[in-house]
Amino acid sequence: MKRRQFVKMLGASASLVMMQSPVLAAINKSHKKPAKVVWLVLRGGMDSLHTVVPYNDPDYASLRPKLAKTFKNDLLPLNSDFALHPSLKHMHSLYKNKQMMPIVAVGSGYPKRSHFDGQDFLESGLTTMDHDTGWLGRAINLLQVQPNSKALAVANSVPISLRDTEKVSTWYPSNLKDADENIYESLMDLYQEDELLSSRLNEGLNTQDMAGNSKTKKKGKFVDLARACGKLLASNNDTDCAMLEVGGWDTHNNQSFRLARQLTDLDNGIAALQEELADDWQNTVVMVATEFGRTAKENGTGGTDHGTGGAMFMLGGAVNGGKVLGQWPGLKQEQLFEGRDLMPTTSTFSWIATVLQQHWQLSNDDISKVFPSAPAYKVKLTT
Amino acid sequence: MSVINTQAVIAVNRFGLGARGDELAQASKNPKAWLKQQLQPIVFTNKLMSSNEMFVELAKLGEARKAAKKSTNADEEFKKNSKDRKKFLTKSYRALSTDTFKEALNSNNSLSWRLLDFFSNHFSVTASGPVMGAISATLEREAIAPNLLGNFDEMLLAVSKHPAMLIFLNNERSFGPNSRIGKKGKGLNENLAREILELHTLGVDGGYKQADVIELAKGITGWSVANPRKDDSVGFIYRAAGKEPGNRMLLGKTYKQNNMAQGEAMLKDLGNHPKTAHYVCTKLVKHFISDKPSPDLVQKLVSTWQKSGGNIKQVMTTLIDSDWSWQADSQKFKTPREFVMSSLRAVGRKEIKHKELFFTLMTFGQQPMQAGSPAGYSDEQQDWDGANALMSKIDWVALLARKTKANAEKVMAKTLALTPEVSTYKAVVRAESRTQALALLLLSPEFLRR
Repeated sequence: MKRRQFVKMLGASASLVMMQSPVLAAINKSHKKPAKVVWLVLRGGMDSLHTVVPYNDPDYASLRPKLAKTFKNDLLPLNSDFALHPSLKHMHSLYKNKQMMPIVAVGSGYPKRSHFDGQDFLESGLTTMDHDTGWLGRAINLLQVQPNSKALAVANSVPISLRDTEKVSTWYPSNLKDADENIYESLMDLYQEDELLSSRLNEGLNTQDMAGNSKTKKKGKFVDLARACGKLLASNNDTDCAMLEVGGWDTHNNQSFRLARQLTDLDNGIAALQEELADDWQNTVVMVATEFGRTAKENGTGGTDHGTGGAMFMLGGAVNGGKVLGQWPGLKQEQLFEGRDLMPTTSTFSWIATVLQQHWQLSNDDISKVFPSAPAYKVKLTT
Repeated sequence: MSVINTQAVIAVNRFGLGARGDELAQASKNPKAWLKQQLQPIVFTNKLMSSNEMFVELAKLGEARKAAKKSTNADEEFKKNSKDRKKFLTKSYRALSTDTFKEALNSNNSLSWRLLDFFSNHFSVTASGPVMGAISATLEREAIAPNLLGNFDEMLLAVSKHPAMLIFLNNERSFGPNSRIGKKGKGLNENLAREILELHTLGVDGGYKQADVIELAKGITGWSVANPRKDDSVGFIYRAAGKEPGNRMLLGKTYKQNNMAQGEAMLKDLGNHPKTAHYVCTKLVKHFISDKPSPDLVQKLVSTWQKSGGNIKQVMTTLIDSDWSWQADSQKFKTPREFVMSSLRAVGRKEIKHKELFFTLMTFGQQPMQAGSPAGYSDEQQDWDGANALMSKIDWVALLARKTKANAEKVMAKTLALTPEVSTYKAVVRAESRTQALALLLLSPEFLRR
C-alpha cells in the first residue's frame, strides 16, 4: 500500500493517529485535564428529609405520618440509615459507582428562614451579606493552577455566586416563551380570589397544552439547561466552571407529587450534564446545595415549611463518593433546631471549601478569602 | 399616612405610568397637587426627523428609483433603492415611536405622557405603505404634543392639517367638484370629514347627517400635502384651485368664508360643540378611570370644558380634583403599553431597543401606529385582557425578572406600597427566589390593574 492511499483511507482520523504517536501521548498523559466545577443551586429550600430519607430513624414516620407513606416506589437504599427518593435513579447509580455522595444535616450558617436572604447568604459565602461578591467568583480569581479558566452562569444575569470576577459570562437560551412551570403554579395561588385572572390563566394553560409539544417544550427546562451547560463546558477549553440553578422546591403543599417531579427533573438534568461532559465528567465535581432545609414535621397541607438544616450533594467523576457524609443529629424533639428543624451539624461552606482545596488546589489562605468563616475539612472528597 | 398612601398609589398608577424611583413618596405628600404639577408640556429631547425632512428624504428616494429604472443595470439599482427605502423607514417611524416610548419611560411627568398616548390614539393613524410608514409617528409629536395642554379645537385643527392625517384619510386628494381641479375630473373624498365627525369630535351618535359629512368634506377641500418633486414646497399645502367654492351649511349653521378659513371655522365650531365635549370627556374618563364612566364625573368634565373653551389642562384638573376619580378599588387593567411601561419603570430600566419594544407590544396586541383603523385601539379592557395576552405577559415578565437585579420587596414598596395582610405581599415575600418574587409582583392582580 502506498502512503498516499493509506492516508486517504484513514480520512478524518489521520490526525488522531498522529496525536497518538508515543511522544504526544506522553505529553498528553502528563498534561492533566482541567479540573471543572459545576455549582447547582436549588432555589426554594429542598426538603432533605424527603430526598435523602433517614428511613430507619424511628422518629421519621411519627414526624411525617402522611408524607412518609407517599413514596410511589421503593426508596433507593444508600446504607442502613439513608435511602434516596425513588426519583433519583441516576444519582443512585452514580452513588453505587462511587461518583456521588450526599451530605446530611448541613447548613450555611444562615439562621433565619427567608428564601432571598438565605440564597444570598449561600451565594455570597460571607458572614455578612454582600450582594456584589460571591464565593465562586472569588474562588476562580484565586485559581492559580488554571489561570485561564473562565466561568459561565446559565442565567440572564450574573448571580451573586459569580460576582466579583472578570472571568464570568452568562448564557441563557433566548426565547420569550420560556416562563418556567413554577410561575404558573404560584400565579394560580395568587389569582385564587380573582375570578377573571384565574379563569384567563386556566384558559391560557389549556390552550398551551392543546398546542402540544412544540409549545410545552420550553427552553427553560432544567434538563435542557443542564445539557447545554454540559456542552459548553465540554467544548470550550477555558470554560471550566459553571453555575446552574433550578427553582420549584418551596413545597408548602402537595409535596409528594411536586418533589417527585422536581427530583425527576434534577436526576434527568444530572444525567444530561454527564452525557454532554463525556470524558470531562472524570475531571468534574458537581456541587448541589439549597438555601435551607424544611421543617422536620409535615404541615397541614401535605407539605413542609421553611426550616434550617438540609442536605447537599457532591457528584462527578472526580468525586470520592459512595458514602453518606455529615453527622446525623437525630430527629427527637430536643435534637431539632429550635424544636422544629433538622439541626445543621456541619457547614455547607466548609464542604465546598474542602472540594475547592482538593480539586482546585486552593491554599488555606485562599480558602479564608473565599469563605472567611469556614475552613476546609480534612476529609478526602475528590479522587 | 395610610390614607394618603392609598391615594398616592392611585395617583402614580391610575393617572401616571407607574412609579419610577421615589415617585410614590413624592406623591404621598399631596397626591392631587403632585398630579397637577405633572401637567407640563411634553418635551422631546432628541432631535429626530420631522415630517418635512422625511418628505424630502422620500422625494430623494423617489428620484433615485426613477433613475434606477432607466439605469443599465436596473435590477441591481432597484434592489439597492428598495434597501435604502427600508432602512429609511426603520429610521423614521420605528425610531420615532421608540424614542417616544423611551421619553415616557424616563419622564417625571408621566401623566402628560399618558395624555399624549390618549390623544395619539384618539387621532389614530396607521403606519402602512411607504409614506405613512415613515411619517405616522410624527403626528403626535408635531400636532398633538404642542397642543396637549391647550384648547381642544386647536389640537383638532393642527391634526386635521397635519400631512399624516391628511394622507391617512385621503384628504390630500379631495377636491371640490366645482373647483378648477375638480372640473378636470378629480373629486371629493369624504373619508377625513366623516372620521372627524364620527371619531374626533361629535361621536357616532352625535346627530350629524350624511349631508353634514359632505359639507365638511367640501369645507376642507384643498387641504393637501405638497409633493416636493413638483410643488417646490414641503408639508401641508393649501391647493386653492381644489377648494369647492360657495357657502357651506354644517349642522344647521352657514359658513360664508372663502378659502381655508371656511374649513377652519367649521372645525373650530366642531371642536367646541357640546356633543364633542361630551364625547371626548367620556373617552377621557373611560381611559383614565373606568370602563363604566360615572355620568356625574363626565358631566363635571363637560362643564369645565364648556367654561374653559375646551381647555384640556383645566379638564384634567377637574378630573384630578373629583372624588369619583379616586375609588379605592382598581378600576381596570392597564393597557398593554402601560403595562410594559410601568413594569420597566418599576425595575428601573431606562433603555429599550426598538426590536424588543415592537416585538413585545406586537405580542400584547398594541404596536405603536398599527391600530389599522382610524378609531385607534380599543380603550376597554375586555379587548386586551384575554388569556393569550396574560400568557404573553407571563413569558415576558419571567424574562424581565431574570434579567434584572431589582429587589422585589423594594419594588413592591415603591410601586404599590402593599401591606402585609394582602395576598400579593405574602406571595412576594414568600416566593422561593428573588426572580420569582419579582415576576409574581409584576403579574399580581394589583400590578396588572390600576
